[in-house]
Amino acid sequence: MNKIKKLVPGSLAVLLSAVSAPALAAQIPSAMAGQSLRPYWHVFIAYAIAITVVLGWVISIGRRMRQVEERLGE
Amino acid sequence: MTLYLSQVSAIVWKDLMLEFRTRERLAAMGAFAVLAGVLFNYSLDTARVAPQDVAAGLVWMTIVFGGLLGVGRTFHLEAQDGAMQGVLTSPAPKDAVYLGKTLANFALLFPVALLVLGVFTLFFGLDLGSSPGTLVLALALGALGFVALSTLFAAVSSETHMGETLLPILVFPLLVPMVIYGVGATGRILVGRPVEEVMGNVRMLAAFAVLALAVGAGLFRFVVED
Amino acid sequence: MSTKGMRRAGTGLAVVGLLGLMFVYWLSFFWVSTEANQGVAQRIFYVHVPAAWTAFLAFGLCALTSAMYLWLRDDRLDRAAVAAAEGGMVFGAIMLTTGPLWGRIAWGTYWTWEPRLTLTLLLWFIFLGYFMVRSSTENPEKGKRFAAVVAIVGALDIPFIHLSVLWFRSLHPQPVVVKPDGPTLPGDMLTTLLTSVAAFTVLFLGLFMLRYALEGLHRELDARARRVAA
Repeated sequence: MNKIKKLVPGSLAVLLSAVSAPALAAQIPSAMAGQSLRPYWHVFIAYAIAITVVLGWVISIGRRMRQVEERLGE
Repeated sequence: MTLYLSQVSAIVWKDLMLEFRTRERLAAMGAFAVLAGVLFNYSLDTARVAPQDVAAGLVWMTIVFGGLLGVGRTFHLEAQDGAMQGVLTSPAPKDAVYLGKTLANFALLFPVALLVLGVFTLFFGLDLGSSPGTLVLALALGALGFVALSTLFAAVSSETHMGETLLPILVFPLLVPMVIYGVGATGRILVGRPVEEVMGNVRMLAAFAVLALAVGAGLFRFVVED
Repeated sequence: MSTKGMRRAGTGLAVVGLLGLMFVYWLSFFWVSTEANQGVAQRIFYVHVPAAWTAFLAFGLCALTSAMYLWLRDDRLDRAAVAAAEGGMVFGAIMLTTGPLWGRIAWGTYWTWEPRLTLTLLLWFIFLGYFMVRSSTENPEKGKRFAAVVAIVGALDIPFIHLSVLWFRSLHPQPVVVKPDGPTLPGDMLTTLLTSVAAFTVLFLGLFMLRYALEGLHRELDARARRVAA
């Protein structure tokens, strides 16, 4: 269970970057046609914040749970 | 009912007597009111900002900051020497203690609020507009709501490590309606708008005060129980 | 439910929620159409709105369990309140950071005193007060009671704050807010939004249960420490 907890965040982050990068890259030709890239940055940052904060909470809970279990095991 | 009222008034009387002996809180709040007026004078560029446009906001914020100074110390005496126990084992119900403390705080803050209004009127040359009576009413209702909330949380903060420094964090988010409606009413009166425009705000201030008192009275027992 | 059961259920829900979130990300990047007026930036809406909804759900849960805790004094209710409060701060933070990112593009400014943003900001600070009060008392039981009072007063004030902020806002000229969340939302956008709301909610519930289980373990540890000390 702990192993899964460790793997999931890392793999999700990699997966999401892999997913979003080509999607955004595909939009670049239209952006080059005279529009600014800024909205794309904002969207990327917003989605990155959402997943990072969520995963951050997941990892925080996982870490605290491991600490308490260790201390209970004593 | 009369027993309850006499219990509340006994507490009000006791707190006011204690305050008048030292006049500490009154002095602190009063000095703050005047000095804040001085600082605000220097913080406003009167070439670009007409004081009566911003005076309402400054008055209310000064009352809030100064009020916290005074109300934060409400339970200071009780926190020392375990005097809180004495208050709690008295036959007065907890909500009577709360109402007594709150009304005593109001009796201290309301004159200070009037002082702030007077000082700012003097310093900024304000015109008290069409209806000074409504202005005073708005201040009174706002002060009542403010005192109701801050007295409850003063009891909370006096039992924490952080003490009074916690009070602004707990109270400020909750004060937004009071500030909005209070400044809205005051600002309009100061620029000479008719009273009818302002009565909606005054009603909201009254509703806020009533709700704050009811909630405070209901929850105070959970704060001070052993 | 036992702590073990909570953990299993919580982990299950959290995994489903995370998978749902990934699906939503795919939907919002590849499937849903671009909004005509606001362009690409409008897609932020699909994480911003569900985060807001979840933050308010968490707060409601915290206030409710806090009130019940003061009434029934069951420690489990307090654990639920803490878990909900933490979730509320997390999802509130997402809402408060994605909002300005969207606002900068859509309305030209990072912060407008938009009623919902303002309300969430104040809510976030009420939660902050909740945690500060909890952790700054000598007697932890007092901290729990104080925190419960903070949550209840906050919940009761929220309608007032909402009304007053709306009224204030109606008087002051603000950037025109395009409302992409009315009933006129096109089908694919509505689907994406609702899927996202569902994913966020499931995710929150799963993590809430895990956080609740964690709090239960903390209490067990404290109880053990007290028994040893006695």
